[in-house]
Amino acid sequence: MPKSKFIFTTLMLLLVLAVLAICDLCFGSTNLFSIETSNPMFSSILYDIRLPKTLTSIIAGSGLALCGLLMQSLFRNPLAGPYVLGVSSGSSLFVAIATMMISSIHVSGFFIMGKSIVTLFSIMGAFFVTLIILLISKKNKSNVTVLLVGLMLGQILSAFQGLIEYMSNADNLKTFVMWGMGSVGSTTLQDLYFVIPIYAITIVASFFFIKPLNAILLNEQYAQNLGVNVNALRLSIIIISAVLVGVITAFCGPIAFVGISVPIASRLFFKTSHHLHQMTFCLLLGACVVLTADVICQVLSSQFMLPINTVTTLIGSPVVIYLLFKSKLSIG
Amino acid sequence: MIEITNLEIGYKSKGKHNAVFKGINLHLHAGDLVGLIGDNGIGKSTLLKTITGNLAPLAGDIKINNTPSSKFTAQQLAQLLSIVVTEKIGGFNLTVWDVVATGRTPYINIFGKLSTEDESIVTKALEQLNLLPLKDKLIDELSDGQRQKVMIAKSLAQQTPIIVLDEPTAFLDHTSKHQLFSILKKLCAEQGKLIIVSSHDLELMKPYINRSVTMAENNSLEVK
Repeated sequence: MPKSKFIFTTLMLLLVLAVLAICDLCFGSTNLFSIETSNPMFSSILYDIRLPKTLTSIIAGSGLALCGLLMQSLFRNPLAGPYVLGVSSGSSLFVAIATMMISSIHVSGFFIMGKSIVTLFSIMGAFFVTLIILLISKKNKSNVTVLLVGLMLGQILSAFQGLIEYMSNADNLKTFVMWGMGSVGSTTLQDLYFVIPIYAITIVASFFFIKPLNAILLNEQYAQNLGVNVNALRLSIIIISAVLVGVITAFCGPIAFVGISVPIASRLFFKTSHHLHQMTFCLLLGACVVLTADVICQVLSSQFMLPINTVTTLIGSPVVIYLLFKSKLSIG
Repeated sequence: MIEITNLEIGYKSKGKHNAVFKGINLHLHAGDLVGLIGDNGIGKSTLLKTITGNLAPLAGDIKINNTPSSKFTAQQLAQLLSIVVTEKIGGFNLTVWDVVATGRTPYINIFGKLSTEDESIVTKALEQLNLLPLKDKLIDELSDGQRQKVMIAKSLAQQTPIIVLDEPTAFLDHTSKHQLFSILKKLCAEQGKLIIVSSHDLELMKPYINRSVTMAENNSLEVK
């Protein structure tokens, strides 16, 4: 992709992102345009509710889309993604364990500590599953096998999760079920002070792997012959993905669709394989998708509460299916 | 250029050495087009993977330009030796240009940005194999013969004095096979590259190669 086209596309996506962010901040059950700026309710809604939600949407969307891209490139499989490969399920199970454990040792009163433990467990769960998938993919090169194992692993982890849910008390179960539906609305500005540095470090770190990721698209043998340390690349991508998915899942719940579909859509829209371009586009497109879903959730929330997972999947999946049928491009 | 002494090749599994072939002694020079011949499963690919550093030798030495290959860093080895393997590549929007440009990986910065000089090297590699008109085409849209030419162009862009090709004619028709060997012979003659090609089809390679290495049962190695 020529440099001028890349800059133009990036600017256009940034513009769309800015418009969506403004919509997300202003529209909802209460329209901010209808409130005087001097009214204390204005700043309360803006800073305590809408701003954290908008920032969380951007972080969750861009982070999950980037993870999906990294996994698809690493496994050279367009069907890879944190949700499909069971990475999100790993996070969920470990969050379930953490939630019950924190509750049972009565430290939930320490809010930051509680969330830190949940986040740490979520990262551990994501890391654990990605590592298993990677070991299997090294033993068995078949993409179909890796995906099936990922799906099976997701089912096994969900079964364990079900067991924990069955044994938990009603209050914990309700909290956990609500978390599991996926939401960008439960994050506070205080939480974001913790999330943003982790997010920023992992995003910046991932840009240092552009060159090896471009090479690994050929295959591992070619990549190795081009001077890429494939084992180091694998481990780095696992750590980046696990930390990003873990943090996002801890705060937003397991969000489906974004991780697998945004990279596919990005490849269909922006016909490039270069990771500098694809990473930039996935970050922006992923943020736009979750922001759009959140705007829809907010606008409809006066009638009923919509889980963000439902919206991302209901709107996004048909769009990607349509694009796949319409396009003759090979996306992977 | 490549000096192989008492090489034992194979795989290590749970601390055990599973030797595929033993006692390989070879001396290959710049400008040689070497045909590596042998039946399926005899160890041709294992030998090539060992030479390229994808597999560690079980015993013995491989020297490239009088330096043991184990002394080279991955980056240095990538500037000495390039490969073309049987496995087809494709998908992910990979165009002919993208694939050939990966040949510049050992020379470019971490963000994968090609300099003007890198771009002209990629263009020249494409020109040498008459691929320039196809540069924006997706790899998936090419024939098997064209794909192999793209991978050779990638090797040329990598600017290595040694090119190793593992069964490059596996998916090719009769005409494409001969076209491929003509290109390889020309590269050896004009650019002094050492090219090693594995195949089980000696008759096909005979008119083109100037050296042959035949691997047979019971670790029998015939060098001509």
